[in-house]
Amino acid sequence: MTLTLPGATSATPDQARKPRRRVNLDTPVIRVLLQAAAVICFFAAWEIGVRVGWISAFLVGSPFGIFAIAFKMIASGELPSDTWFTLFEAILGFVIGTIAGSLLGLALWYSVFVARLVEPFIVAINSVPKIALAPIVVLWFGTGLVSKVALSVSLTAIVALIAAYQAAKDADIDLQSLLISMGADKHQVFFKAVVPSTLPSIIATFRINIGFGLVGAVVGEFISSQRGLGHMIYTASSLYDLNTVWVGLFTLMIVGFALYYVIDLIERKSLPWKQSNTTHQVRV
Amino acid sequence: MTPSPPQLSVKDVRKSFAGRAGEVRVLDDLSFGINERDFVSIIGPSGCGKTTIFNIIAGLLEPDSGTLLYRGAEIENLRGRVGYMMQKDLLFPWRTVLGNVLLGLETKGVARAEAEDKARDYLKSFGLAGFENAYPKTLSGGMRQRVALIRTLIMDPDILLLDEPFSALDYQTRLYLEGVLKDAVATYNKTVILVTHDIDEAVALSKRVVVLSGRPARVKIVHDIDISSHSPIAARSDSRFSGYFHALCADLDIQTETSS
Repeated sequence: MTLTLPGATSATPDQARKPRRRVNLDTPVIRVLLQAAAVICFFAAWEIGVRVGWISAFLVGSPFGIFAIAFKMIASGELPSDTWFTLFEAILGFVIGTIAGSLLGLALWYSVFVARLVEPFIVAINSVPKIALAPIVVLWFGTGLVSKVALSVSLTAIVALIAAYQAAKDADIDLQSLLISMGADKHQVFFKAVVPSTLPSIIATFRINIGFGLVGAVVGEFISSQRGLGHMIYTASSLYDLNTVWVGLFTLMIVGFALYYVIDLIERKSLPWKQSNTTHQVRV
Repeated sequence: MTPSPPQLSVKDVRKSFAGRAGEVRVLDDLSFGINERDFVSIIGPSGCGKTTIFNIIAGLLEPDSGTLLYRGAEIENLRGRVGYMMQKDLLFPWRTVLGNVLLGLETKGVARAEAEDKARDYLKSFGLAGFENAYPKTLSGGMRQRVALIRTLIMDPDILLLDEPFSALDYQTRLYLEGVLKDAVATYNKTVILVTHDIDEAVALSKRVVVLSGRPARVKIVHDIDISSHSPIAARSDSRFSGYFHALCADLDIQTETSS
């Protein structure tokens, strides 16, 4: 085998001048096209499978059936109203739970004594699968909006609390020392050093918690309700109406997807100093 | 006529920390004085408790025993009256350059508009005009440390405590910032205590150098540095520079020539 230096002997002058470039597939347009193609292929394969008879339309549903029902439910206003209902429960639960949890977690920074005292209780509460609370929550808060919000709060608050407390504990001690040497009191240290340094962690929990907010709302609706996407999925599946179930599931997916990007936007707007960190990635 | 008392006296300060093998005494009846408008470097073997002294003066740690005297009067510490600068620039990453410079004035409750005017003046005189709204991560190490220096000076502290402020920077930037520091200290009439590992830096900047022994720290010897040059670079070419340098190396038990 011979080693050839680039442009030295064997390459023709033309090749030497133009080094071969790899085609860059990672552009926004190509990405979106590939993603859309994947979705279309998925539904096409599904529909063909049903038509040919490989897949049971009764147990799995079919894309055309799903789209037909979706359009009907949108036209009748049933789907938008159910979606709005569930979305409202999820967001309300998310907001209340995340704010309450974050504030409690941050407040624990003030007293190491109290924090150590309550730590095992927090761990204990966290280790209970909150979904198991659903039946009691319905007993306590009824079958309306409040019980779904309460369930969402119970799921999101503990996540926010633990994240905020941990982040407050991890806040840079040197920055706090510097403030103290400047004559700052405990409140100033809290608001100038601790709170800002916990914001990235707290906002990171938004991503997890917006999902938990939806879980709380949907599970609450499973247990008992007259409205919402969870109610729609639950009743449709008990009637073996798989196409309607899929309409509910896909709507939930779209809602979760949209909420994720809203959170992403909030993160970028509220942490401008973090920016250059997150957009770059080492290329291997 | 009695000589006026030093601006700050550290008297018989003792401090121990709980270690794995019982108490570790870090400072053992340490005493030294800092005169008005003094520039004192403290050098000593690493881990000998230099930072501990600073933390006691700044009020971040309490001594086990001993006293601090400020202009002859006993004080608990100088919290809120010192400008503490560390090896890490400790700029708050979520604050802009202007926000970082304003930090000390904010904690003191200075009116916003007045504080901002003052901050802009300082930034301009340190060549950082135009960077007010930049975040620290976009600045070079030397610029960041310059912002930290402004943040320290703008509070008009009684004493500057500089804990190896330039040791994380490359040599050229360090030389440049030593000059900036020396000028600023002369302009604002500041008293400085500098902790450093760098014998060269200590001689070039200081009026006096305090050499500490290893743990527990005691004052081994104090050298008066009689180099009157105002620039740290010119100081390095002073004929007495290498004499001080070698004397300090000897005090720190650093072998400067191979012994045969």
